[in-house]
Amino acid sequence: MATLTHYIVLSSILFGLGAIGFCTRRNALILFMSIELMLNAANLLLVAFSNFMADMAGQVMVLFIFAVAAAEVAVGLAILIVLFRHVQEVDITKFNVLKW
Amino acid sequence: MDLYFWVFAAIAVLAGLFTIAAKDALPSAMGLLTVFIALASLYLHLHAPLLAIFQVAIYAGAILILIVFVVMLLMAPGERLTAIQANVSYRGFGALLGLCLIGLVAVGTKGVSDIVSMKGVPEGFGNPSIFGDLFFRDFLLHFEVVSVLLLVALIGGIYLCKKKL
Repeated sequence: MATLTHYIVLSSILFGLGAIGFCTRRNALILFMSIELMLNAANLLLVAFSNFMADMAGQVMVLFIFAVAAAEVAVGLAILIVLFRHVQEVDITKFNVLKW
Repeated sequence: MDLYFWVFAAIAVLAGLFTIAAKDALPSAMGLLTVFIALASLYLHLHAPLLAIFQVAIYAGAILILIVFVVMLLMAPGERLTAIQANVSYRGFGALLGLCLIGLVAVGTKGVSDIVSMKGVPEGFGNPSIFGDLFFRDFLLHFEVVSVLLLVALIGGIYLCKKKL
């Protein structure tokens, strides 16, 4: 039977993958997807704890994270499109106007 | 059932690895889709069928479509999809995604309760009616705040995409 530890390890692996992707990739769209991966790892952890502690509040929290993720993607992608109009590029190393 | 967890955990990790390692953004998005679906299957295992549905509908349905839409929109003029189709590792990955979807459909037709044991959780745990009760009573304020947040995000998104900013 899969225990809580299994889920914690799986969630940590997924979160780690997301973090590695966020730190190493340069394509802004893949950075977005890495953030989504990290959010999903957090969701999995919430649902796992909700199950093993027999408390449904964890599942409700996941729904709020869904809403926050949707808001984040909507605004983030809009910003990305505006940036693309100016720079014609999705490589984040090219976004260096504010760099000192 | 232990096998259920291991299969979908392995798919989630492999797909996550593919998401961050893929060369182009579009295959990366497909990897993310597979992660979402594998996690939806794990939610079924964790007695959260409603969240599994939301995961497929909101994440795999809405958020990922938005990302793929922007990927297509921002694709460089020289970049063509034929270059992506030719890659062999992408085909193998497509097979993984197909496997995951078949697994989800199989679970759906066979019924979750046959595969997932209900012991260890109280009666009615994960039931949508209890979920809704909790959501609209204990978390009513949070619900209202989140609805305002979504409205603000909506307005922000529309404003940012105006022709002249």
